[in-house]
Amino acid sequence: MPDFLEALSVAKRYGGIVALSDATLKARSGEVHALLGENGAGKSTFIQILAGAVRADSGSITLGGERFAVRNPEEAQRLGVAAVFQELSLIPDLTVAENIFFRREPLSPLRTARAGAMREATAELFARYRFPAIRPDQELRRLTLAERQVVEIAKALARDPRVLILDEATSALAPRETEWLLGLSRDLAAEGKLVIYISHRLGEVRRIADRVTVFRNGATVAAYDTASVDDDTIIADMLGRQMERLYPERRNTTTGRIALSVKGLSVENRLADLDLDLREGEVLGVAGLQGHGQRELFQALFGAARASGAIEVWGKPRTIRSPRDALSGRDGLALVPEDRRNHGLLLAKSVRENLTLSVVKRFTRFGLTDPKREAKLVDDMIAQLRIKAGSPEQAAGTLSGGNQQKVIFGKMLLTDARILLLYDPTRGIDVGTKGEIFTLMRDLAARGYAILFYSSDLAELVHVADRVAVLRYGRLAAILEGAENSEHQILRAAMIDTRAA
Amino acid sequence: MTMIASEPGEHAARPPSAPARWRGWLLDRASLLIPCLMLLALLAVYGSMREGVFTLDELNLDTAAAMTLMLAATGQTIVLLRGGIDLSIGGMISLGTVIAATQFGDGGATTLLWSVLIVLLGAVVGMLNGALITVLRLQPFLVTLATWSILAGTALIILPIDGGSLPSGWMAFGSGSWLGLASPVWLLILLLAFWFWFKRTRTGIAIKATGSNERSAFLSGVSPLAINLWTYGLSGVFAALAALYLTTQTGAGSPTIGKDYILPSVAAAVIGGISLFGGRGGLVGTIIGAYILTIIGNLVFVLSISSYWQPIASGVILLIAVLASSLAEKSSRRNLS
Ligand SMILES: Nc1ncnc2c1ncn2[C@@H]1O[C@H](COP(=O)(O)OP(=O)(O)OP(=O)(O)O)[C@@H](O)[C@H]1O
Ligand SMILES: [Mg+2]
Repeated sequence: MPDFLEALSVAKRYGGIVALSDATLKARSGEVHALLGENGAGKSTFIQILAGAVRADSGSITLGGERFAVRNPEEAQRLGVAAVFQELSLIPDLTVAENIFFRREPLSPLRTARAGAMREATAELFARYRFPAIRPDQELRRLTLAERQVVEIAKALARDPRVLILDEATSALAPRETEWLLGLSRDLAAEGKLVIYISHRLGEVRRIADRVTVFRNGATVAAYDTASVDDDTIIADMLGRQMERLYPERRNTTTGRIALSVKGLSVENRLADLDLDLREGEVLGVAGLQGHGQRELFQALFGAARASGAIEVWGKPRTIRSPRDALSGRDGLALVPEDRRNHGLLLAKSVRENLTLSVVKRFTRFGLTDPKREAKLVDDMIAQLRIKAGSPEQAAGTLSGGNQQKVIFGKMLLTDARILLLYDPTRGIDVGTKGEIFTLMRDLAARGYAILFYSSDLAELVHVADRVAVLRYGRLAAILEGAENSEHQILRAAMIDTRAA
Repeated sequence: MTMIASEPGEHAARPPSAPARWRGWLLDRASLLIPCLMLLALLAVYGSMREGVFTLDELNLDTAAAMTLMLAATGQTIVLLRGGIDLSIGGMISLGTVIAATQFGDGGATTLLWSVLIVLLGAVVGMLNGALITVLRLQPFLVTLATWSILAGTALIILPIDGGSLPSGWMAFGSGSWLGLASPVWLLILLLAFWFWFKRTRTGIAIKATGSNERSAFLSGVSPLAINLWTYGLSGVFAALAALYLTTQTGAGSPTIGKDYILPSVAAAVIGGISLFGGRGGLVGTIIGAYILTIIGNLVFVLSISSYWQPIASGVILLIAVLASSLAEKSSRRNLS
């Protein structure tokens, strides 16, 4: 079968930064085609070119045998290319239905949008593709990140595209919705559409992709049939080197000192009467089914949710009513939040400013900032996390998605707080860096940090955490340790009520 | 890789309890309810001091007095929804009145011709604002500050001091009435009809969407240039209409009168619940805001205190409105998370 989409030697630079140098991708209709690469490899830039949001400097693209040169998103949509962007393209002040039909509203004879028709069509679309339940007349800003992601997918599908591009669409989704999207992608391919699928989760890619194309530093380095290649080869192509191992060796560095002690913590009806001790030098995992109180636990500890109960930090009672209370010096708590784009970064500010904004004290002497010390802190952090930025002065908003996440991670590390609350810290981060983050976590623990760690990927908890606290209906269902800390045991504790049994 | 799957049905949103739903409903509409309550309170005070406040006559009078501001604020509302601001309406209003006062003459035909030309001029000036803002990527505040200055200067060249003359038929506009309602009230009804139509058109939706999130709107296929041409073009048109209406009231051209409408047009919109960050609010709120500002003027007059109290009272009302709606906004956020 001939290739439906053919992009040859596409290049794009932003000033001095080369985002793409030689990107080539050939894909057929009726297949799910995965696009893989490290953070900053150019995946999002490439699909933004396909979707008309960015214009390439050079290269040629054909779609269905015809030259494909679009100047804006509207033209791309008209030619049947619809994209679900990593940064979503939804309007907070419109309803779900209005968002889905934005710019394509069905019109009355007076040329006004027909709200009823839009609502019905939305319901129909949701039913046809078995969407998770979302009310079409809700305003978008009322929805959770995962729900917005689902609406964005609906918006792309409503255009009945020939090519559907999904840029890390599963990174914000709960497992059940992830399953749904994987199934949906296969169904769409079976309908004869081309699905271009970007993800850092090789497991997903293996399950649905017919072929993969790998980018490295803005250039295509390999393309395979998924069935004929193993993970190690793909990872080596992505990183340009063999990866030794994903998970670091786990040494128990726990001391007897209790860093954070929680007694009777409750958050509305989401978290009930939770007792938990986090020790110095320990990585304590948190697991549970979606919505069983993990998020509330992190928010309460960081002062972002109203909670009752007693919290002791390094042996001293502490009231945490706002993030300001939480973040105070060496005996404070630092959090990697869930919705990073909205809560974690100042997109228009530079990487340097984002990293150091909350820690100006560390390089201030006699009331004056010392740029040399600041530069050193920043350079060290950029090197340590391998943040891919042209310079420390690049605006954070122009970094690739994964690199923005690294900046937030770095910002938290610089705060000097020794209790770290990591809520899914590896989401959207490439495998290579994931391994580095795990190593870093274990090193920090060895240096006396105490880390509370939630991950949507169970394997990470099993391999990185010393103990895993499993939540069920907002209560502590079990604490698993040693040989007990396995995916199987975690699932058991999360699903079966061990206390009642 | 293993992920924990959630239980079926467990994720479905729990329906909120009845009182919580009411609370949410109220908080959602707080930015419109608050100005309504303030207007009612002001009317109650005003009504207790003077006879005949709750009559059609009073409605006719107040609407006639508020109409210039309402027209100017309609344009401003559209611009604020887009997330911008238009200071140039000050210059456009002045220029509109002096052109009318110097060019209308006596004939019906010249009056009509020049009216149309003034409205066209408003559109062109506005679109120029929009083009400069988009193409040069300049702040709306700065661009419209500059055009305000240019337009105001032009008005002064045409007519250095208040004066000129307008046809007597033109000035009779305000005294016309039908079914007990004066012509300004009918104009207001037309204005609202326009609004309820416009906000549902693709352009209207796109203006609001662009104010809500510019990048998302662009990714969805909205052309930034087209949207700014529409937004500021409409603002210019409404400024021109405000100028024309103003001349029916004053019977003269004034090269400096426009500046009196710039900040009040923003204030009326903000009192009416429009966010300066764009995307939220509507004309109904603005109209209520314009009435509030007008009634404050009436109150100052009835109390026969120094007219300097009027801006002070307006400022206090503005603060209350902004404070109340930001509090409501905050607690509705808290409701969510
Ligand atoms: N507007 C911009 N200005 C400057 N540099 C940019 C801009 N947009 C992208 N880049 C750079 O282009 C490179 C490629 O970014 P891109 O977002 O395509 O990466 P990606 O492969 O999608 O990564 P991730 O997996 O982290 O999402 C990055 O180094 C990024 O900093
Ligand atoms: Mg990306």
